[in-house]
Amino acid sequence: MTISNNSTIELRGVSKSYQRGKSKVPIFDELTMTIEDGDFVAIMGPSGSGKSTILNLIGGIDTIDAGAISVGGTVLGNMNESALTRWRSNHVGFVFQFYNLMPMLSAAENVELPLLLTSLSRSERKKRVETILEIVGLTERARHLPSELSGGQQQRVGIARAVAADPQILLCDEPTGDLDRKSANEILELLQLLNTKLNKTIIMVTHDESSTAYAKRTLFLDKGRFIQQEMNQCA
Amino acid sequence: MTRLLRQSITLSAANIKSLHRRAWISMSMILSVALVVVVLLGFLSMANGFRKTLDATGAEDVVMITSRGSFGEAMSRLTTNQTHQIEEGPGLLRSASGDPVLSAELLVPVDALTMADGQTATLSLRGVGPNAMALRENLTIVAGKMFTAGSGEIIVGQRLSTKYRNMQIGDTITFGRSEWTVVGHFRANGSVFESEMMADRGVVQTLFERQNEVQSIRAQLAGVSDFEVFRAYVEDELDMGLSARTEKEYFAAQATNVSRIIVFLGWPLALVMAIGAAVGAMTTMYSSVSDRLTEIATVRAIGFSRTAAFIGTLFEAIVLTLIGCVIGVAIAKFGLEGFSASTRGGANTQLAFQLMLSVPIVVQATVLALFVGLVGGGLPAYRATRVPLRSAMTGRS
Ligand SMILES: Nc1ncnc2c1ncn2[C@@H]1O[C@H](COP(=O)(O)OP(=O)(O)O)[C@@H](O)[C@H]1O
Ligand SMILES: [Mg+2]
Repeated sequence: MTISNNSTIELRGVSKSYQRGKSKVPIFDELTMTIEDGDFVAIMGPSGSGKSTILNLIGGIDTIDAGAISVGGTVLGNMNESALTRWRSNHVGFVFQFYNLMPMLSAAENVELPLLLTSLSRSERKKRVETILEIVGLTERARHLPSELSGGQQQRVGIARAVAADPQILLCDEPTGDLDRKSANEILELLQLLNTKLNKTIIMVTHDESSTAYAKRTLFLDKGRFIQQEMNQCA
Repeated sequence: MTRLLRQSITLSAANIKSLHRRAWISMSMILSVALVVVVLLGFLSMANGFRKTLDATGAEDVVMITSRGSFGEAMSRLTTNQTHQIEEGPGLLRSASGDPVLSAELLVPVDALTMADGQTATLSLRGVGPNAMALRENLTIVAGKMFTAGSGEIIVGQRLSTKYRNMQIGDTITFGRSEWTVVGHFRANGSVFESEMMADRGVVQTLFERQNEVQSIRAQLAGVSDFEVFRAYVEDELDMGLSARTEKEYFAAQATNVSRIIVFLGWPLALVMAIGAAVGAMTTMYSSVSDRLTEIATVRAIGFSRTAAFIGTLFEAIVLTLIGCVIGVAIAKFGLEGFSASTRGGANTQLAFQLMLSVPIVVQATVLALFVGLVGGGLPAYRATRVPLRSAMTGRS
């Protein structure tokens, strides 16, 4: 569905508001920005500033009121519900703060979920799951249920699931928000690895200043606008 | 298509695996479906058993003559002339003197007092001819003796004698202005006759001022194969608005009517209960959807389709429904069928018959259960397709 393997994310004049009671609460007003292929962007901002909303909009799980969002030239607003669903499965992976693993499925089964939407055969899926669990260092835990894993391990399963179907874009909403420092750093290193070695585009919302060091640049969001941008040398 | 199938199977299996989180409310849905199934099966198996039993009773070489279109004997009336014509009919078994073996009978309603609290209850007194016993093979006097023809003697069904006053042998019982002496108790293999009393027809006609009135004639055919010629004579040749049926046919017709009534009572009740169960199922399934909100939103964000979310939820509803259905059928099978077998053994059965399940009946109950599952699961399954996906971002699973 992509025109080329270029997956540049473009927001043009994006407006979004939520209905709260009788009044409309604007979140974004005419927001414009571009995120290039292979970028690793950290987004910071106060609670309620619209960080999650922007991930949802780019990932096609929420809709905008005005403007346009395109990914690799594909305009999300032009797709109907089922086309958008299919598009998501091919192009984006989500990483959630609370991991959102299916509690009744093993680590391997959770990672396999997005592969069920591909044309891979059962044995190909199995092989892919093994490879990815190896990358995230959980080969030993493949058969464990989420409840038998630590928070850091669960988030690694979450990341494995997000990259399983090999999407170009990873959308991470406070992926380390529920983890201790050490586990958080391991997760951030893993994301950085996916960005540098596999050239994944990563957009990561975070509350934690030190997490931004792993990204290539940091955007500060406030009152629906990006107020400041920082480039990171170390990345 | 295979992808949709894979998604649906995965979500369905995941839902079933997470049922323990919703154990109680799922159990309540299962039980309400089971209850509906048991109630429907109760009625249908009663109707079925009733029909099957009466289908099997009744002789094929005894013919019943009533006026045409009458349901049973109650509404039937035969004139003296008609009775004489029937006595002349072909195919009847005749004694050496040429008399047919038949019994012209009438039923009069009489009031008796219950043993327990002296309440009035209406019973049937049957006036019968001398061949009545011969025509009822399973009728036996279990105490006392048969009434003497032309006398004010009466025999009563054994079952009645334990329930009503003045029915012990030697007692005098009064019906209106007539007085009777109880001389015998009889049994009739659990059939309807056991809830009647019998006396000489002539005496009954006189004492109740129903001279010459007859409601039915029961006659012995020379052989089973003689029925058709006799029927043709009564129905076509005489053309007096009479109907001739073998006793077996007669009972079968009665049974059909009664079992229809049972079915007509049973279905609406079961349907009303099914609607209640469907509402309950809906509550269960809505709570299942809200319990799985984050899971649904997450797999939808991953790219699972709405259809898969729908099917997964509906599958859960149908599985719960079918479990309830199986439990209901099992209760009917091992509870109801057994229960009726024991009442059959007792002497106090009005009409001994077994509650009988059959494949068509179980199919009907299963269809009703599936109706509960589909109605109860449909809207919640639709709701599952409309879960806002951003709840994946905020939700804690
Ligand atoms: N479904 C919704 N309905 C109404 N308001 C919403 C909804 N989702 C988010 N909001 C509001 O939009 C604003 C931005 O939300 P969000 O993107 O979650 O902020 P952040 O992730 O930066 O904390 C908040 O004020 C929030 O209350
Ligand atoms: Mg947020």
